[in-house]
Amino acid sequence: MVLLHRGSVLGLVLLLAACATQAPEPSLPAPVVKPSAPEKIETPRARVPQQSPPRPATPSASAAWQPLLAKAEQATQRGDYEQALALLERAQRIDPDSAEVYLGMAQTHRARGDAMQARATAERGLLYCATDALCNALRAYAR
Amino acid sequence: MFRTSHLLLKLVLSALVVVGLFMVYLDARITATFSEKMWELSARVYARPLELFTGAALTAEELAYELEVLGYRAVSTPRQPGEVSRNNNRFDLYARGFNFPGEQEPAHRVQIEFVGARIKGVSADGKDIDLMRLDPVLVGGIYPRHGGEDRLLVRLADTPEMFRAGLVAVEDRRFYQHWGFSISDIARAAFDNLRSGKVVSGGSTITQQLVKNYYLTSERTLVRKLTEVLMAVLLELHYDKEQILESYINEVYLGQDGPRAVHGFALAAQHYFDKPLDQLDLYQQALLIGMIKGPSLYNPDRNPQRALERRNVVLGVMAEQDVITPEQAAAARAKPLGLNNKRRIRDSFPAFLDLVRRQLGRDYREEDLTTKGLSIFTSFDPLLQRQLEISTAAVMDQLDRSGKLQSASIITRFDTGEVAALVGGRKARFAGFNRALDARRPAGSLLKPAIYLAALERPREFSLATVLSDTPLTIKAAGAKPWQPQNYDHKSHGDVLLYQALAQSYNLASARLGMQLGVDTVIDMLARLGVAEGVPRLPALLLGAGEYTPMDMATMYQTIAAGGFRMPLRSIRDIVDVNGEPMKRYPLEYERTVSLQSMHLLHFALRAVVREGTGQGVYRYLPQDFAVAGKTGTTNDGRDSWFAGFSGDLLAVSWIGRDDNGVTGLTGGSGALKVWAHFMSRSSRQPLAYRMPDGIETRWIDDHSGYLTGEGCPNSRMLPFSVGSEPRQRTDCAPRNEGSGVKDWFESLFGSKG
Repeated sequence: MVLLHRGSVLGLVLLLAACATQAPEPSLPAPVVKPSAPEKIETPRARVPQQSPPRPATPSASAAWQPLLAKAEQATQRGDYEQALALLERAQRIDPDSAEVYLGMAQTHRARGDAMQARATAERGLLYCATDALCNALRAYAR
Repeated sequence: MFRTSHLLLKLVLSALVVVGLFMVYLDARITATFSEKMWELSARVYARPLELFTGAALTAEELAYELEVLGYRAVSTPRQPGEVSRNNNRFDLYARGFNFPGEQEPAHRVQIEFVGARIKGVSADGKDIDLMRLDPVLVGGIYPRHGGEDRLLVRLADTPEMFRAGLVAVEDRRFYQHWGFSISDIARAAFDNLRSGKVVSGGSTITQQLVKNYYLTSERTLVRKLTEVLMAVLLELHYDKEQILESYINEVYLGQDGPRAVHGFALAAQHYFDKPLDQLDLYQQALLIGMIKGPSLYNPDRNPQRALERRNVVLGVMAEQDVITPEQAAAARAKPLGLNNKRRIRDSFPAFLDLVRRQLGRDYREEDLTTKGLSIFTSFDPLLQRQLEISTAAVMDQLDRSGKLQSASIITRFDTGEVAALVGGRKARFAGFNRALDARRPAGSLLKPAIYLAALERPREFSLATVLSDTPLTIKAAGAKPWQPQNYDHKSHGDVLLYQALAQSYNLASARLGMQLGVDTVIDMLARLGVAEGVPRLPALLLGAGEYTPMDMATMYQTIAAGGFRMPLRSIRDIVDVNGEPMKRYPLEYERTVSLQSMHLLHFALRAVVREGTGQGVYRYLPQDFAVAGKTGTTNDGRDSWFAGFSGDLLAVSWIGRDDNGVTGLTGGSGALKVWAHFMSRSSRQPLAYRMPDGIETRWIDDHSGYLTGEGCPNSRMLPFSVGSEPRQRTDCAPRNEGSGVKDWFESLFGSKG
């Protein structure tokens, strides 16, 4: 089902590409924000074990927010927690039900020394975790 | 003879001294103010940017509306930023890009395709784009209360070269040669004035115009004219041409927009064309340059024909001065005015701007907001706002043609605590009494969840299946007359289960439960939910006495919807200063004030409200399988009609009442519920999900006695319990494997596993 969806998107993309070569190119090259995304295929959701709840019919938004999480991690590593949290909040608005985003927030709060926010955020994230690995990671912060 | 010449000398000398002193004074005025001339820049308030990605819950129609209010121009092939072409579910879009706080979104051309109510794909040049966002809608500005100048600053280096050359060619062709004034121009002006017998011509250089706008009144006298020339010379002595031209470009007046005066070319470009100055075409630049001569005479909105003629004159001058080729001029002359479309929404959401202003008022002085050029990024959602206004109008017009009833609503995204839309009265587009923030009313049964939550927090004493007594009671207090609450139907219902008492909004059972817990316990719970003001320490509080704004109720239900996490309701995300540097971020902060388990049990009861209680009316609007939770509220004689509730993505609180506190004849269910459900059925994209936290289990209960029973037994139904709080007594009915076959709404949540 997912593959089918991917396939149709791919087909659409090819079609667009075909159209685009015929259409006159815009004078400006279109620069695209390409955040330094990790390999796209290996999203954490792809690692979900098979007994996990069935995937919702709506397409997952994780491809949209994964790059934001990666950027947030970079920001955290250079100590820019404000920027990291801003990126994570953007990710959360895109997919409010993502436990991974909550985990990222909890980690960032912990990293900047706000254990209380880390705990509250992780507790809320526990409402959304679907895999043992994710739930356990959140529980570690919720304690 | 000697005496007269001596007198003359004295006169000349003193005149020179006076002129000298005057020049010193003028010089001081210029040097003291020009270099650090503080432009008064109003704060600009932006809506949330629309995020575009594969799978985003958005319809093609919604994107079209967003682009329309953003002023994107429909074309057959987009070639520059701000243009879009739509073919049913496909958009070919040249996004403008935007400098967001901390992140830049470049201008680029993308293709967006929809399927159903979702984005099927976003791509550029055949490559998928993970995520992008549109430029945010400018919702409005924060101006000085008396109205006034508004402008966007632009640096000279950021203005198009052709535009600068055209400006100089038309307004002051010897600008780069003269010393601030032009003898030949003044002579020509004087000649014109002599000939006509009155002052008709100014003969001003750009420097003189700037001096006039900065320092002088607009009266036309010889003394003033001389002062202007003197100051122009002094200005040229102190500052170079670039500085003077830059100031001029930012200062010049280019029209009126209601109480707002449009100053500077950067704002004029946005105002007339919805584009930044550096994205204007020649024919658009020429129009703005031409308007300097008479911003109202050549106003393209009011006098399109005159504006067009003036523009073409400007193009002629530009060609004559070799700024452009005759071919370019001819091509530009053939263009229409090319103004933006007129479906503007800026400054038409006074209620939301009011909220933003108040939240800003906690951290900023009024003066900073109206002069410092801050950019304020808010959570305002133009799409939700539009639907909220439509729903309010549709329901109110149906309920009350007289126009006496008023209504207010607040929408939040409860996961982040952000206010997305707000209506402060039936005439949503007009400033006035903002009922969403300022109407202080009793809340009726909207407060009841605080009582039940306080009870459910004591799992050893209370569960959803605890039997309550819905029978008359009288509460005596010293020095006050006895309080005798009544049910809405003036009946008592005997023994009822706790969840039923809330679902049916039984007043007697609720008052008894509240008195058993203690008024102070309930007050404490309200505070933990975020409501601390206007709460009277009286038994009548249990049934909603006090003064609460719709915003107070949104705060309370926000905590409930978020599962017991209190967070401040935010309307502002970021504030950026005039140079684009982030100044302040309003971060998301959670504070857990109620346990997940008791909140989970309350959610069950609030779901029961809409499935089997006083809120069933929502399913005349919503599809049956779309789970929501909520609560009705009605005050004495139907003076206030409330509904508060949430789906999986949105929280909404609606209120209907009269400004004179008169009777509406409405209950929560027959009034505010309709606005709520009308809105939710059109805007919410996610039903309320069922997420059972640790420490909760389900049991089969006899719905009449509250005893444990078996699946498939008479009156059996499934209820959630905090582990260990399930009833001890049990019916003697054994579970029947086949069950009843018919699942109630709660069992259905568990799917086939049931």
